[in-house]
Amino acid sequence: MLEIDNLSAFYGNSRALQNVTLEVADAGFLSVLGRNGVGKTALLRAIVGLMDRTEGSIRLDGEEIAATPTHDRVRHGIGYVPQGRGILPQFTVRENLKLGTFARRDPGHAGVLEDKVFDLFPVLKELLNRRGGNLSGGQQQQLAIARAMLTDPKIVLLDEPTEGIQPNIVEQIEDVIMRLNDEHGITVILVEQDVNFARRASRSFVIIEKGHVAASGPIDTLTDDLVHRHMAV
Amino acid sequence: MQIVFEQVLTGLSIGSILLLAALGLSIIYGTIGVINLAHGEFIMLGAYAAWALKTYVGVSLLPGLVLIFLGVGLFGWLVERILLRRLYQQPLDTILATWGIGVVLQQVIRLTAGGDLRYVELPPSMAGSVSILGVETSAYRIFIFVVAALLFLISWFIIYRTTFGLKLRAVVQDRGVASSFGINADRVYSATFAYGTGLAGLAGAIISPLKSVSPEMGTGYVVDAFMVVVLGGVQSLFGTVISAFSLGEVTGVIAFLQNDTIAKAIVLILIISVIRFRPQGLFVAKVRA
Repeated sequence: MLEIDNLSAFYGNSRALQNVTLEVADAGFLSVLGRNGVGKTALLRAIVGLMDRTEGSIRLDGEEIAATPTHDRVRHGIGYVPQGRGILPQFTVRENLKLGTFARRDPGHAGVLEDKVFDLFPVLKELLNRRGGNLSGGQQQQLAIARAMLTDPKIVLLDEPTEGIQPNIVEQIEDVIMRLNDEHGITVILVEQDVNFARRASRSFVIIEKGHVAASGPIDTLTDDLVHRHMAV
Repeated sequence: MQIVFEQVLTGLSIGSILLLAALGLSIIYGTIGVINLAHGEFIMLGAYAAWALKTYVGVSLLPGLVLIFLGVGLFGWLVERILLRRLYQQPLDTILATWGIGVVLQQVIRLTAGGDLRYVELPPSMAGSVSILGVETSAYRIFIFVVAALLFLISWFIIYRTTFGLKLRAVVQDRGVASSFGINADRVYSATFAYGTGLAGLAGAIISPLKSVSPEMGTGYVVDAFMVVVLGGVQSLFGTVISAFSLGEVTGVIAFLQNDTIAKAIVLILIISVIRFRPQGLFVAKVRA
């Protein structure tokens, strides 16, 4: 269970999030919606601990992590798929995947996890020795999700995972994200522009506007009216 | 033929000294990106450590090398922890700060060890010379060559074949992504800086029997080391090696035909011309970002 209470976050001196309060239950699926530049990415970065400064509280399974440095924080079981995918360009696919294992809480069942990942993304197996920077956008996105999986996370943060990716791969990625939640019981927080996918996949939503929570609730309360008011351009 | 071979050996010898002096700098500059102007003084510390160990403790050069590596490395670790870490956001300030550290170190050594030249003895076992294909070469110069080659291989292995190296290369590419996968970037940088500094200390100690040891000796080495690193390409360890030995050979040949001063000037002009047309240095990693 992730509980965020009165969270504000800053890029330098400018405030990107203001008094955000929300919670996601175990095995929950929260979609974070809103126009560009309202603070959706800042919310994920604040949870991982990559903002310049934050105020307020972030509790994961009851443990306060808002003051914990990023590298320790992710060891509580946070898998992060950043905006732009965050693939290290000079690393091979194999090395990028290896990166995922450093934050793992229990190094025991490494082999099982790897099988699971290659089961979800068979294409990665053929690309192991290619440089991350030379992959296509879709391949990079699959790699980014696979890498987050390898941390054996309790909760996965995904920042616009289908942005700029060809339709048939988008479908596959959406399918994987839903399976992570349904079959593996991993809590998902998804930043998304595609309302239809959010409706199909998630159990709850939060709409952010100018760094505030403008609306939130179970996904069936996400009305067309709310979407028009807060997301139409 | 004999003369050519002699020249090649001289060049290799100059090159291995250059490589020794540049290796630590290359690692620090190529990964952390700090332009460490105190590098020469770290070399100087190593040389004085060799002298002090012999003079006050009676430990001679070869057994002292490990101590010197650890001692100077520890000093570098402290410098990174206490000072440089706070300045990574301001690259210009790190230049100034490291230069300041260099000045302070020079004066501290001048006040404690005195301003006169100090001499470190050659290890007696290597005072002689060895004949390679009919050319008489000092055994100690061969030792330097072997040590430089070994240190390069060890460093390459650490960076490209160990988990620590993988973490280091991850932090270099993207600090945020690296830390969101559990890598403690601060610790990786401290360890890397300490390692690079330790290498500088080692270089100073090993070079000390060939050159006179003085508080100002670092100035020359830092310039040489930067020339090697910039020519080789900043993020390329391999480039550093090629560049050190090429500069060694070129310097050796010109010094043979003319003299050391002319050699130095011509080498500098050559480097400036190369950098003018290839600012990234001779070797760069080519990957789409």
